[in-house]
Amino acid sequence: MYYRIIRNDMLKSKLITMTTMIFVAVAAMLVSLSAILVVNLSGSINMLMDQAKTPHFMQMHSGAIDTRRLADFAEQNSLVDEFQVLEFLNVDGAQIVINGNSLADSVQDNGFTTQSEKFDYLLDLDGNVITVFDGEIYIPVSYMKDGTGKVGDTISINGKKLTVAGFLRDSQMNSLLASSKRFLVSENDYAAIKDSGSTEYLIEFRLKNMSEISTFETAYTSAGLEANGPTITYPLFKMLNAISDGLMIAVLLLVSTLIVAITFMCIHFTLLAKIEDDYREIGVMKAIGLQASDLKKIYLVKYAVIAAAGCMLGFALSFVFRGLLLENIRLYMGESEHASFAFVFGIVGILIVFLAMIAYVNHVLKRFRKISAAHAIRFGTSQGKAAGAKHFRLSRNRLLTTNTFLGVKDVLARKSLYATMLAVLIISTFIIIVPQNLYNTISSKSFITYMGIGSSDMRIDIQQTSHISEKAAEIVKVMERDSSISKYAVLTTKTFNAKAADGTEQGIKIELGDHSVLPVQYSEGRAPVAEDEIALSTMNADDLGIKVGDVMTLVIDGKEKDFTVRGVYSDVTNGGKTAKAVFSDDSADIMWSVIYAKLSDPSLAEAKTSEYADRFHFAKVSHIDEYVAQTFGSTISSVGKASDTSIAVALMIAGLVILLFMKMLVAKDSYSIAVMKSVGFTDSDIAMQYISRSVFVLMAGMVLGTLLANTLGEVLAGAVISSFGASSFQFVDHPLSMYPLLLMIGTVLIATMLGTWGAGQIKIAANMKE
Amino acid sequence: MKMIIGENIVKSFSAGNETHPVLGGVSLKINEGEFISIMGPSGSGKTTLMYAVSGMDSIDSGTVLFDGRNLSALSEKELSDIRRTKMGFVFQQPTLLKNLNILDNIILPAMRDNKKNAAKTMEKARALMKKVGISELEKRDITEVSGGQLQRAGICRAVMSQPKIIFGDEPTGALNSTSAQKIMDILSDINTEGTAVMLVTHDAKVAARTERIMFMCDGSIVSELRFKKFNGTGMEDRIKAITAKMREIGI
Ligand SMILES: Nc1ncnc2c1ncn2[C@@H]1O[C@H](COP(=O)(O)OP(=O)(O)OP(=O)(O)O)[C@@H](O)[C@H]1O
Ligand SMILES: [Mg+2]
Repeated sequence: MYYRIIRNDMLKSKLITMTTMIFVAVAAMLVSLSAILVVNLSGSINMLMDQAKTPHFMQMHSGAIDTRRLADFAEQNSLVDEFQVLEFLNVDGAQIVINGNSLADSVQDNGFTTQSEKFDYLLDLDGNVITVFDGEIYIPVSYMKDGTGKVGDTISINGKKLTVAGFLRDSQMNSLLASSKRFLVSENDYAAIKDSGSTEYLIEFRLKNMSEISTFETAYTSAGLEANGPTITYPLFKMLNAISDGLMIAVLLLVSTLIVAITFMCIHFTLLAKIEDDYREIGVMKAIGLQASDLKKIYLVKYAVIAAAGCMLGFALSFVFRGLLLENIRLYMGESEHASFAFVFGIVGILIVFLAMIAYVNHVLKRFRKISAAHAIRFGTSQGKAAGAKHFRLSRNRLLTTNTFLGVKDVLARKSLYATMLAVLIISTFIIIVPQNLYNTISSKSFITYMGIGSSDMRIDIQQTSHISEKAAEIVKVMERDSSISKYAVLTTKTFNAKAADGTEQGIKIELGDHSVLPVQYSEGRAPVAEDEIALSTMNADDLGIKVGDVMTLVIDGKEKDFTVRGVYSDVTNGGKTAKAVFSDDSADIMWSVIYAKLSDPSLAEAKTSEYADRFHFAKVSHIDEYVAQTFGSTISSVGKASDTSIAVALMIAGLVILLFMKMLVAKDSYSIAVMKSVGFTDSDIAMQYISRSVFVLMAGMVLGTLLANTLGEVLAGAVISSFGASSFQFVDHPLSMYPLLLMIGTVLIATMLGTWGAGQIKIAANMKE
Repeated sequence: MKMIIGENIVKSFSAGNETHPVLGGVSLKINEGEFISIMGPSGSGKTTLMYAVSGMDSIDSGTVLFDGRNLSALSEKELSDIRRTKMGFVFQQPTLLKNLNILDNIILPAMRDNKKNAAKTMEKARALMKKVGISELEKRDITEVSGGQLQRAGICRAVMSQPKIIFGDEPTGALNSTSAQKIMDILSDINTEGTAVMLVTHDAKVAARTERIMFMCDGSIVSELRFKKFNGTGMEDRIKAITAKMREIGI
C-alpha cells in the first residue's frame, strides 16, 4: 500500500520530485568529486614525491661553495640520511630558443641540470626515472601544457642544439609558483653548455626522520654553511604542488555545501506546503485513530527513494566529470597511489549526503506530531493570520501600482512561505559573488601586494651576477631621466643573522631600501621608515615568535643591533621568509636586487618592459601583469573556471527553485486568482502581481546576499587566500561583477513567468466553489 | 431595452470519458434595470447558466450578447474589462482575499485602474459601507467579522464600479433569515437606482422580491413567473404564487 501511495504522490508532483532529485544529484556529485579529487591529489603528490625522492631540506646557493665542508657536516649530523649537491645552470631566457621562440619573456628562472644519482630524481610522465642520452633534452611538463614545446622540437642553448625527447615531472618545481624550472640534459651536453650561464647549487638533504626538519634547519643555519639563496623544506614543496588544485577543491566543497543547504530548503518548503495541504486530512486521520508515525513513514520512504535515486545519479555523473577535473593532477603529478581508495571515498561522500537528507526530512516531519486533530478539522489550515503586514494597506498606498502592491503585500503577509525563496536567492547571490570577487581580486594588479610584491608596473631582477649594486645604479640612472617612470624603488636583499630568544643565531634575508614608495600590504602595522625599524613576513614572524612592537636583535658586521618590529606582511616569494628594513649596510654580500617601477601611464608597461630588457641584458625585466600571470596563472585560471561554474550553478539553482516555487504558489493560490479574475483582473494583472512578488524577494535576496558576500564571503575567501601565505585580505571592487547579477535578475524573471503561466489557465468557474 | 440576450446556450461537462449535458439550449433575455431570479432543484444548472451569461465560463454553442457584444468572441482582456466595469458578482460564500482588510477588499477592483482618484474611491467605499451598515469594520481582517457582514462587504465591492448588472449566486444561502432580509434590502435599493440584478436562489422569500422568476429543471428553463416591482406590499401572495408554481413543476 505504501508503494501505491508514494507512487501516486510522486506522479502528482512530478516537477517537484524531479527538481529535488536533481538537487540531490548535483550535491552528491560535487561531494563525491571533491572526495575523489582530495584523495587523488594527495595520493598523486605523495606518489610523485616518493618516486622522485624529494629532498627534505634544500638550500639554494649561488657563489662560492665548499663542498667538503658540507659533506663533513652531513657526515657528522646524525639526522642526515643522504646528502648531495646538485648543479643548476641558470641561463637567461633569451639564450634558450625552442623552435625559433626564445624564453626571454618567461618570468621563470630556466636552467639545466643532469639527472641526480641519489635522490631528487626527475621523472618522465610514466613516473620512471629518466635516463637521458647525448643530444636529448627533457623539458618541464608545464611547458607541454602551455604549448611552449613538444616532442621532436629543437632547443638551442646559446647555439648548442638538442632535441626534445620528452617531458619531465619535477617534484620540486612543477608548480608555477616555484619560480625555477629545470630542463634535463646529459652529462656531456651539460659540460658543453656550462659556460652559457651562471651555476647555482642545490644543497639537498634527506633526513632519517622527517619530523626533525626544523631541528635540522636550525642546525644547518647555526653551522654557518652556504646560504646565499632561499631555503625550502619538504612541507613547502608539498604545499606548492597542492595549491592550484587545492583551491579548486575548496571552491567545489563550498559550492556543494551550499547546494546541500538549498536542497534542504526545497525539502523544507515542499514538505511544509504538503503538510499544509494535507492538514485537514492529517487531522482526520489522527481523529479516527491512525498514528502520525504511519504518515511520517510514508513521507520518509518517499524522500528516501528520491534521495537514493539522486545519489545514484550523482555518483554516475561524478564519473563523467572526474576525468575532466583530474586531468591537471594526472598531467602534473601522475596517477595516484591509491586510486581505488578514491572510489571508496566517493561512495562515502555520497552516503553522507544521503544520510544527511534522511536525517533532515525526519527532523522536518517532527511537525506531524504537533498537529492537533481538533484544530486541523476546525480550521483546516495551520496558517495564522497575516500578522505584521496589517498596516501595509491598499487604502494608504500611493506609491505602488495596485498589482505591485498586492505582490509585495502577499510577501509580507506570508513571510515564512517566502523565506525559503529568499534564502535560496541569498545563497545564489553569494555563490555568484564570492568566487567571482575572489577571481577578480587575485587576478587584479593590486593583489600581488598581498603576496609580498610591491604594487608596480614593471619589475627588474638582478641576480646571479657580479657587481649587482653597480648594475642597479646604472638602471636607476636611466630611470631618473625617464619621464614615463613616476616612481621606482630599489630593494637589495642581504642575509644577516638574527638572534633568537634563546641566544641561537639564525640567518634571515632582509630587503633593504625604501619600502614606502611602492608598498606591499601589511597585515599588521606599517612599513619600516626609521633606521632602527624592521618588518617581517608572516612566516618569519611566526617562526621567530615576534609580534609588532617587539624588539629583535640582528648581528651586523659582527655587532649586535636592536630593531623594533613595525609591521608584518604576507609573502610568497623566496620561500616566504623575508624581512624589510631601511638601514644602509656595506658589510654583507648582496644576494640580489629588485627594482620596482611604476609608470605614469600603465598602458606603456609593455613597451617599457621590452625597452629595458633590450637595454640591460644582465637583468630580468618583467611586466608585472605577465609576472603575475606566469606565477599565479594556473591558480587564477582554476579559480576563474570555478567562478564561471558557480555562476552557472547559481543561475540554474535560482531558476529551478523559482520555477518550482511559483508553480506551487499558483496551485495554492488558485482560489485567490479566481476571485481576482471574477472582479475583473486580467491575466497580465495577475502575472504582474507574481512578478512583483519575485522581484521584491529577489531585491531583498540580492541585497542580503551581497552584504553576506562582502562580510562572511570575504572572510571565507580570505581563509582560502591565506592558505597560500597572504593575510589581511580584502575584495577589490570590480565593475564587471554586476553583470552576473543582471543575468540572475533575468533568470528569475523568466522562471517566474514560466512558473506562473498556469495562472492564466485557472478557470473562475471551477475554483470559486470553495 | 435588452441588456443580455442568450440564444440556445449549450454547455456540457465531461467527467472521465462520458460527457453529460448541463444546459441543453437555453434562451433568455434580461432587460436593463430588471430584477430577476432563477429557481430550480440542486444540479439543474442554475450556477452554470449564470456563469454562461456573465462570460465567466465558456459555452459549447449558442450565443450570449451583452450590450450587443458577443461574449464568446471577446478576448480574455475584454472580458475582464467588462467584468470590472459593467458587472458585479456576489457568491454564496463571500469571496474576499485573506490578505486584505475589509476596506482594501472593497476598493480593490476600483484601485486597479483608478489610482489617481483614490480619495474619491475611498469616499465612495465608505459611503457604501455606511449604507450597508459595516462602516465600523473597515480596518478588520476578513477573519474578524461575521458571515453576513462579509457578504455585505462583497456587495459593496460589486457595486463600487456602478455596474449595469449584479449577479448573485445564492448570496443569502449561508445566512440566517434576518441577515438574508438585510441583504435583500440592499440589493433592492441598488436595483431601484437602476442596476439590474440576477439572483440564483432556493428561497421563495428571496425570489418573491424579484420581478421575474425563471424555473429551471434538468438544464432548461421550464417556466416563468412575472410580478410587478416589489414595493413592500403583497409579499404573502407572491410567495404563495411561487410555491404553487414550484409544486406544479414538481420541485
Ligand atoms: N466543473 C464541473 N465538472 C463536471 N460537472 C459539473 C461541473 N460543474 C457542474 N457540474 C455538473 O453540472 C450540473 C449542474 O451544476 P450547477 O452547479 O449548475 O447546478 P446548480 O443548479 O447550481 O445546483 P445547486 O443548486 O446545487 O447549486 C450538475 O449535475 C453538476 O454535477
Ligand atoms: Mg449552484
